[in-house]
Amino acid sequence: MKKFDYLKPHTLDEALSLLNQYGNRAQLIAGGTDVIVMIKQKKLFPDVLISLQGIPGLGQIDYNGMLRIGPMVTHRAIEKSELIRKEFSALTDSADVLGSVQIRNVATIGGNIVTAAPSADTAAPLLALGAQVKLKSMQTERTIPIEQFFTGPGETVLEKGQILTEILIPKPLPNTGSAYWKLQRRGALDLPILGVAVLLSLDKATVTCSDLLCTASPISTVLHSLEGDEVFCKEVRIALGVAAPTPMRATKAENLLRGKKISDELLKEVAETAAKEAQPRDSLRGEAWYRRDMIEVLVKRMAMRCIERILRPEETIFPVRLW
Amino acid sequence: MQDFINIGKRIPKMDAEEKVTGKAIYIHDLKVPGMLYGKILYSPHPHAKILRIDTSEAERLPGVRAVLTGYNTPPIKFGFYKDNPPLKANKVRSYRDEVAAVAAIDPDIAEDALNLIRVEYEILPAIFDPEEAMKEGAPLIHEEHLGGKEKKPTNVLNLPWRLIAGDVDEARKNSDYVAEDRFKVTWVAHCCLGTSGCVAQFDLKNNLTMYSNTQIPSLAQKDYLDALSAMGLQGKKARVIKAMIGGGFGSKLDTYAYEYIAILLAHKTRKPVKIIFSREEEFFATSPRQPAIIHIAQGCTKDGKLTFRDIRMTLDNGAYTSWGATTPSVMMMPISSLYKVPNVRYVAKCVYTNNTWSQAMRGYGNPQATFAIDSQIDILAEMAGIDPLDFRMRNANTPGEVTPQNFRINTCGLRECIDVVAQKLDWRQNRGRRDGRGIGMASMIHVGGGARVYKSDGCGTIIKIDDFGTVNVITGATDMGQGADTVIAQIVAEELGVRVEDVVVTHTDTDICPWDVGAHASRTTFVAGNSARGAAKKVKEQLLEVAAKSLGENPENLDIRDRTIFSKNDPEKKSPLGKILRAAHYAAGGKMVMAEHFYDPPNENLDKEFKGNLSVTYAYGTHGVEVEVDKETGQVKILKYIAAHDVGRAINPMLLEGQVYGGATMGIGYALTERLILQDGKVMNPNFLDYKMLTAKDVPNIEPIVVETDDQFGPFGAKGIGEPGLVPTAPAIANAIYDAVGVRIKDLPITPEKVLAALKEKK
Repeated sequence: MKKFDYLKPHTLDEALSLLNQYGNRAQLIAGGTDVIVMIKQKKLFPDVLISLQGIPGLGQIDYNGMLRIGPMVTHRAIEKSELIRKEFSALTDSADVLGSVQIRNVATIGGNIVTAAPSADTAAPLLALGAQVKLKSMQTERTIPIEQFFTGPGETVLEKGQILTEILIPKPLPNTGSAYWKLQRRGALDLPILGVAVLLSLDKATVTCSDLLCTASPISTVLHSLEGDEVFCKEVRIALGVAAPTPMRATKAENLLRGKKISDELLKEVAETAAKEAQPRDSLRGEAWYRRDMIEVLVKRMAMRCIERILRPEETIFPVRLW
Repeated sequence: MQDFINIGKRIPKMDAEEKVTGKAIYIHDLKVPGMLYGKILYSPHPHAKILRIDTSEAERLPGVRAVLTGYNTPPIKFGFYKDNPPLKANKVRSYRDEVAAVAAIDPDIAEDALNLIRVEYEILPAIFDPEEAMKEGAPLIHEEHLGGKEKKPTNVLNLPWRLIAGDVDEARKNSDYVAEDRFKVTWVAHCCLGTSGCVAQFDLKNNLTMYSNTQIPSLAQKDYLDALSAMGLQGKKARVIKAMIGGGFGSKLDTYAYEYIAILLAHKTRKPVKIIFSREEEFFATSPRQPAIIHIAQGCTKDGKLTFRDIRMTLDNGAYTSWGATTPSVMMMPISSLYKVPNVRYVAKCVYTNNTWSQAMRGYGNPQATFAIDSQIDILAEMAGIDPLDFRMRNANTPGEVTPQNFRINTCGLRECIDVVAQKLDWRQNRGRRDGRGIGMASMIHVGGGARVYKSDGCGTIIKIDDFGTVNVITGATDMGQGADTVIAQIVAEELGVRVEDVVVTHTDTDICPWDVGAHASRTTFVAGNSARGAAKKVKEQLLEVAAKSLGENPENLDIRDRTIFSKNDPEKKSPLGKILRAAHYAAGGKMVMAEHFYDPPNENLDKEFKGNLSVTYAYGTHGVEVEVDKETGQVKILKYIAAHDVGRAINPMLLEGQVYGGATMGIGYALTERLILQDGKVMNPNFLDYKMLTAKDVPNIEPIVVETDDQFGPFGAKGIGEPGLVPTAPAIANAIYDAVGVRIKDLPITPEKVLAALKEKK
């Protein structure tokens, strides 16, 4: 393994100044679950590692009209945040399935984003949640929608001397639910064959149902047995991971649903549209046809899960695991 | 049942604490003073001529002590077909071909030196499909390899696997139903947590010491001596010292190029040389399970009696030959003897390609053959309109049977296994729902009392007892994580009337330990166990004789219980074991209490027709599984897993269950997720991220059921259980998937893509 110096600045200004000083010879390191692996694989050759570990504040989660997540927040911290589970469920869904507990204890959300793997688990949920990222250099600071952040596999708009300092997520509209599904070959330590995140805002959170059993039935059954009640989609965002060179929004599919009355048939059409606008490819980890088919299946399932989370919110309040 | 003190007890593995606390010394931890580090340069092409190798720059790198190639090393050939040199000259035949090797003072320098070696290649046309490689005009992998009647150059190995019993063609004519299918199985890796490695060291007289993690110390010793001879070092000694082994599963049943390279580097530099594989090397440069294309036909009568089994196989041998090419000899076992089938024909061809080459892996061909056989049993049962449970019961093996391969079935708990699996799955209730949930079962046979693969199937044991009553057992057996030491200790402790913690088992050094043929064929508990028991009996006789003098009692009236020798007539006449030993050692004209025993089971070599009673007893079992298939994604979830095994007797139920859990887990991976992906000969997933071994979150609740048949030949009635746990897993799962959604997947692994594609086609 290549030898390198390890620097641990204590303020953001110090980190930016070091980054400026060492230029191309330096590599920022957060949790290290990507950087160290890449050094070992000889894909990175830094002379200097600049750690963000010692900078106070970068590991905070704050909610004050807007959710602010520091780049050094670990996936484990996200997974355990009751606030995020309740209000930004898709992000919990993704943090909860990344790597393994041991990896989640050190891997950070900032690292997951800047590595910009098409398979990054948190990317699709952040797109669906309408997140923005703050990029800071010694001279400048700007905030951009996360859609604009990714430019290709492993490539972002991040420039030399810049650090991603914050992820911002707007407070969702009332009656909103979100969900993420990682299609994977095993239960842990895997990359997604496909990642699907959906955010849905409805015009109401309570419905009248013709059947007493509605409370326990699958949501598609509930949609069929609404008693003169109609549910409209106020807002929708559909984001896909591993469906294109970068995490992407399925905007045509979204447009089909936004403002419309929700029905089983419409959701099916929305999912089909999303599958059409994706550009999945064949790779070792999955074939294009399967990925496309799965977009159709999973966009619908995730939309249903959003509705379920809105109509039956207790499901998102109680943790999935009690131990 | 007898009243045992140590047998049948759930005793944790003796080395468990050392292992979980990280104190155990593996080959990776081992350092020998003055040691150098070796690294290997592999071929960047699947098939190419080597035109020129320039090592001068690498040799000049400070810290480099030696650079070797196929051009400056003696002509060693290894593997049982002797077609593989440690370093290749003139030509490379696969991506794992070793082209050069470096010894340096640290691993980084050795690696840097590899990058300074310049090799010029001329790329040759390569072939990766064994069926294509058999055709006239296909590129030849070994031009000098001749075969067939005319002794012409060919890619087909001179290993004509052929088993014929009865008249298959006639039986086929008389069958009411015949099923005919093509199955395909691919490469999977052993995934030992401890990667391969060794340290080679010469003394001043050119005697070799190999620190190794082999499963076959005595046979490896012979391989190393052959290599020393080829190096011009005749008459030298080779000593094998084993470190703690981080998993074997068959991968360490042969010797490999890296071991010979370490020997060559050590000889050249006069320093100890260590080679340890990276995980990537472990995936692409060690030998996986043998892949196969299986054409199978089976027939039955109207009332579901099997009439014949006809199988033709093509095995992708890869570029060189290790034990993978001999897996057909074990495939013959389920082919001839799983269920009663009077007429059998089996032919298999091994074909050179430019792919990786295979080795032994847990089950040794049996899982491959059983996948085809027991998947097709369900197909045939459906054709005949018979419930597959009844079909299996009607054809189940029974004690006293002589199978078409001349196996003499002694104890056989197959019916009990099928029965208990059916009960646990609530078979009659749950079969045939076709609603996304389904159940399935499959059975297995494996050797249960060792197997006479070589001229001997023996194992030696030496037992001595020290002044304080500690029993030293020096065994030929190899504990590679399966718990052999613990089981041997239990057997000896039971026989000697001491506690398991009084027994110390040594198995690490060929200078000390007696001979053994190796840890294969699920033989260790049976063969090493019987050997240890024999030695213990002899030691006990000696002990009682010594004690008889000091206690003034006839030896026949004495026995040992809980470390104490006592008179059965007068319980007051007793003495602690240590005291008896001290009396023996310190007496004038004293005596040492020590015995040896060599046990070789009455197993038969297969004859020229591949028939004979390979093992004195056979292990049977049945696995049952309930699955749920997601019809939209093709994903398969295992809801229930029952693994019933006829084990003779459970010497240690905890370790036995461990074998079944581990086997079934490996089998589920084989069935659903695991495969080495080779693209034009290159392993594309040499890491645990893309090689989908199951994680703790994927392993379902496996319920082992122990069926005890108390085998007359086994130590305290036990049979082998090392391999059986994964043999019937894949067909049981495939059968359950069929029951759930009506699609039959005939090639492994059963990925969601295959299930979904089959579901679409069915629509």
